[in-house]
Amino acid sequence: MIPLDTPLRELREQCREAGAELRAHALAVDADPAGTAHLDLPILALVRSASTPKDFRTDSAVDDGGYSDSCLSRVVAGVELARGDAGVLCANTGPSLAGVAVDTLGSPEQRELFYETIADGRAWTFFGMTEPAHGSDATAMESRLDAAGDPADGYLLSGTKRYVGNASRGAIGVVFARTGRTPLSIRGALIRQPAPGFHGEPLDMIGLRGARICRLAMDEVPVPREMLLGAHLPASRRGLWGISRTFNAMRLQIAALALGTALGTRDYVVEQRPNWSGHEVMSARLDAATALLYESAAAVDLQPDAVRPPSTAKLHITDLAVRTSRWAARALGPGALLEHPLLEKWSRDVLAFEFMDGTSNIQRLHITHDLSSRKVRT
Amino acid sequence: MRDTLMACEAAAHDGGFTPGLELALRTVDTAVPPGRVTALPADRVPAGAVVVPHRLAALEGVAFVTSAPAGPEPAHAQGDHRTVFAALLGAVRVGVSRRLLDDAVAHLSGRAAGGEPLIRKQLVLGTVADVITALDAVRQLLCVAHRVPRAVTDAHDRITALDWDTAKLFGASGFLADGPVRGAYVGRLAADCWTDREDVQP
Ligand SMILES: Cc1cc2nc3c(=O)[nH]c(=O)nc-3n(C[C@H](O)[C@H](O)[C@H](O)COP(=O)(O)OP(=O)(O)OC[C@H]3O[C@@H](n4cnc5c(N)ncnc54)[C@H](O)[C@@H]3O)c2cc1C
Repeated sequence: MIPLDTPLRELREQCREAGAELRAHALAVDADPAGTAHLDLPILALVRSASTPKDFRTDSAVDDGGYSDSCLSRVVAGVELARGDAGVLCANTGPSLAGVAVDTLGSPEQRELFYETIADGRAWTFFGMTEPAHGSDATAMESRLDAAGDPADGYLLSGTKRYVGNASRGAIGVVFARTGRTPLSIRGALIRQPAPGFHGEPLDMIGLRGARICRLAMDEVPVPREMLLGAHLPASRRGLWGISRTFNAMRLQIAALALGTALGTRDYVVEQRPNWSGHEVMSARLDAATALLYESAAAVDLQPDAVRPPSTAKLHITDLAVRTSRWAARALGPGALLEHPLLEKWSRDVLAFEFMDGTSNIQRLHITHDLSSRKVRT
Repeated sequence: MRDTLMACEAAAHDGGFTPGLELALRTVDTAVPPGRVTALPADRVPAGAVVVPHRLAALEGVAFVTSAPAGPEPAHAQGDHRTVFAALLGAVRVGVSRRLLDDAVAHLSGRAAGGEPLIRKQLVLGTVADVITALDAVRQLLCVAHRVPRAVTDAHDRITALDWDTAKLFGASGFLADGPVRGAYVGRLAADCWTDREDVQP
């Protein structure tokens, strides 16, 4: 395993301790994903602050323990927090993926608007990409940004999205849609709620219910010109292609959530069966997965465009996490999932990570892309 | 026994997990589960029974009820009943799994990536072929070994893994509580109540 330096080890310990605070709210958030009591947790306030760029933090004196320094530090923290409960972590307010989009594609004014809107710490954000008919193949999306009757009025956004976290309750977010036919014409629009013609509604999901996954209907939602992201960037980096570079780092965060859930599950089994050595192989696999994830994050820190390390980490860890949850149920005997509600909740939550930031098949395609595009040797 | 197993599978394939469970319980109604919890169709829950609340099970029309544990070493006849019932439940789950796979194939036939239907992608076809094959193998396993506790447990473990392979084919629609994956998940919870093991493999 790559050695963690002292600050990273301290960050890991602090986040591991804080995970226990998250866990105390785990079942409540699963039962009532609309609840807000968890938002008062100090650790969630710290995560909100740490995931906000330093210039926009309301309290610039907050010490985030190095959380925001690197991909590796975010992964180290993410694993330990999700080890407490990934569902509560995903139920947090804050910039989240929309923040990444605004930081990557937004002008200084757009970033200011975004971070001002969520400055009170009680506002969720949303990131609308997936559509009912187009998920993995986002370049085929159908949502449109049509020029308004008077071009000075900007655009009208129409279409439907699905599986968009917090679309029903987010104060501000980014929605992707096309201004024309080519992939380069897919652009992000900054949307503030409420907005005329914009309606998000929660979907009943099997797990990770705190993420508040929604369907989104958009009917000629006005998008003033200044709310279209990326106008100041070169054409190739203005829209979908500009943001897709950041998916590498996001993918590692999803792998961190999966690994944390698996470690929490293993910890739970060990607590229930204190003198049982039957966890050794599973524990070793999880340690190896942690090493794989840390190494992948370090590789992305060195080379942000490296595709293979985050994809191998995500492919392996999402699968291992699902296997860990099945192993835990077997380890605790007949009916264990019904007798241990946290374990049962995690066995549902852990399935979510497969679908977030690229399914396993999409990771397989990323991992072998350079092989499949090689010329045949004659 | 083969006919009974096939009937349970057909009931679940046609109507879902709950009708399959109903038929399995009508066939072997004296079996006692190894743990404290068992699955019943919601309309069969006896008055006064303690129900473990479960949202997805309730949506599926299934209730999990607690009873006194029967202990790990039942009398021979009881153990035999238990294994046979678990095998019937396995057949029910094979029916649910086939139904799920049918739905997945229909779902993927209507979606495309890069202009090609998802059902024609080789990675997808590989999974579909593997699941079809493994379900055939599990069905045979249940027929030949429905009185062998470890074999029946193995069949359930394999069904759980296969259902997840199929669920992934749905993309996020496989994660909807009112979607087709729910029945498979509730079936897994029910199976967990009926499978016991000394040796827990990772
Ligand atoms: C908890 C959760 C949170 C989410 N949050 C958001 C969010 O905030 N915003 C948002 O926009 N979306 C979000 N999503 C949606 C997610 O991004 C999509 O589910 C994902 O992109 C997959 O798309 P899909 O579900 O349409 O599946 P599809 O793309 O329809 O895939 C179906 C199946 O086909 C396979 N497949 C697809 N293409 C290929 C190919 N080329 N070759 C081989 N196999 C292929 C897939 O692996 C899968 O098995 C979320 C989903 C979940 C579950």
